[in-house]
Amino acid sequence: MASVQTSRDLKWTERYPDIGTGPVPVEPYISREYFEKERDRIFSKVWLNVGRIEQIPNAGDYFVKELAVCKTSIIIVRGKDGTVRAFHNMCTHRGNQLVWDSKGTCRAFTCRFHGWVYNTDGSLRHVTDEDNFFDMDKASMGMSPVSADVWNGFIFINIDANPSESLSDYLGTELQASIAGYPFDKLSGNCFSWYTDVNANWKVAHDAFAEIYHIPTLHHRMIGNVYASKSNPWANALEFALYDKHGRVSLAANPEWNPTAVETLAGKFGDVVLQQVNTDKASFPPGVNPTDAENWSFDGISLFPNCLLYVSNATYLTHTFWPLAEDRCRWEIRTYSPRAANLAGRFSQEYGKCFFRDTLLEDGSTLERTQTMLMSGVKKEIYLQDQELILRHRLKVAERYINA
Amino acid sequence: MIESDLPKPFKDLEKYLDWSLPTERERSAKRQASDIGVLTEFYEAMLPRMDDVLGFLSEHPLDNIPDDVERLLNLTFSLAEIAPAIENFDQANVVNGYDVARFNAAHE
Repeated sequence: MASVQTSRDLKWTERYPDIGTGPVPVEPYISREYFEKERDRIFSKVWLNVGRIEQIPNAGDYFVKELAVCKTSIIIVRGKDGTVRAFHNMCTHRGNQLVWDSKGTCRAFTCRFHGWVYNTDGSLRHVTDEDNFFDMDKASMGMSPVSADVWNGFIFINIDANPSESLSDYLGTELQASIAGYPFDKLSGNCFSWYTDVNANWKVAHDAFAEIYHIPTLHHRMIGNVYASKSNPWANALEFALYDKHGRVSLAANPEWNPTAVETLAGKFGDVVLQQVNTDKASFPPGVNPTDAENWSFDGISLFPNCLLYVSNATYLTHTFWPLAEDRCRWEIRTYSPRAANLAGRFSQEYGKCFFRDTLLEDGSTLERTQTMLMSGVKKEIYLQDQELILRHRLKVAERYINA
Repeated sequence: MIESDLPKPFKDLEKYLDWSLPTERERSAKRQASDIGVLTEFYEAMLPRMDDVLGFLSEHPLDNIPDDVERLLNLTFSLAEIAPAIENFDQANVVNGYDVARFNAAHE
């Protein structure tokens, strides 16, 4: 942001005067016109996290990302040289989708329509009955490439034919420093993931996971007292930091939290998603747990525009929100932890998985109800409190792109 | 009845073998279809045995799992599945929750 004030007397939001403190408009959550602007000026221009390198560990491994918001389908593939590349999922011949599975392994991509064959580096290898084509320049007829890059094992793509900045510049030095050294590679042996199509604007879903304020109320049956405590009844964060496009929050756990019977059993053999308290400050890189809190629980990173990354002691997770229409989105969740040491550890992971999923189902309960009422048009503005500043910041960054 | 065996020390849990289901989807569906009394009975049968069960499972690596051990593991996965119903919700489903059937597990 352009200016940062750091007086202790100011609330977090007030330290970033550019984002304001007033109500914010409902229109971005309901308007088709705004959705089209997001499509053209944000999602078609910026770096988007589409997955992790563990999904394609070996040469020839690929997965397909349906990118409805950019009106395309993308193949992400690891080439023979080990490089991760992305291509539009399209045969040069007459446009058929090359890959129809959501993931797989291959030596080459063969079109099911007429049998054209492409190497995993995108080049056109073989055209069936080539003699019957005219003046064919195969060297220029490969799959259409999409910019792809990898950061801490996260694969990003950029649909723009000429991205205005590199992935590293897009992420920025402050954000990268804040998480430098976090052992993503050691914590990625086990992944649980879900997706669901929600009848809500993607930002309604995003916002539900970009603030902690709701936890003591909506999650009072599940995780209300994991974070909220007698001295911190509304689970206020330890620290916020807003960067040029992205943001971060750091949160403490309740030191007096009492686990349930099964949670206690699970805790003996493994870590459950985001609930653990880290007391070993020395074990973590300097940017993580930025306040050196004794009872740190997790840091949350908001990656503009549509990804939230939460890192804790021994697990991490991502939420990604993919726009489908102004009132529909796909919400993807991925949780990561090390491969369990034994089957008792698998039970611990399973408990953590089920508990986390049920917590997400509580979150999910508000999304369509909120969208329905925003669409009513009754209220033109909504109100954000200090602890919701990541939402306010994201709206401001989006404005910047849309008005550019 | 060979295929319904559990490892010897845990024969007493065989009456709950209908909970030994291999996927999250199946375990979740059984939870949703059960009333709280059925869930409570399973929970109360499993809980006092879990220290022994987990001690036993901690001796087993993740690969090449014998069938009887896998059935026991899936029983513990069902305990993990239903634990929030007993410990947090006091009903089978997440209270006022988003429909779990719309939540697609991509890990199975």
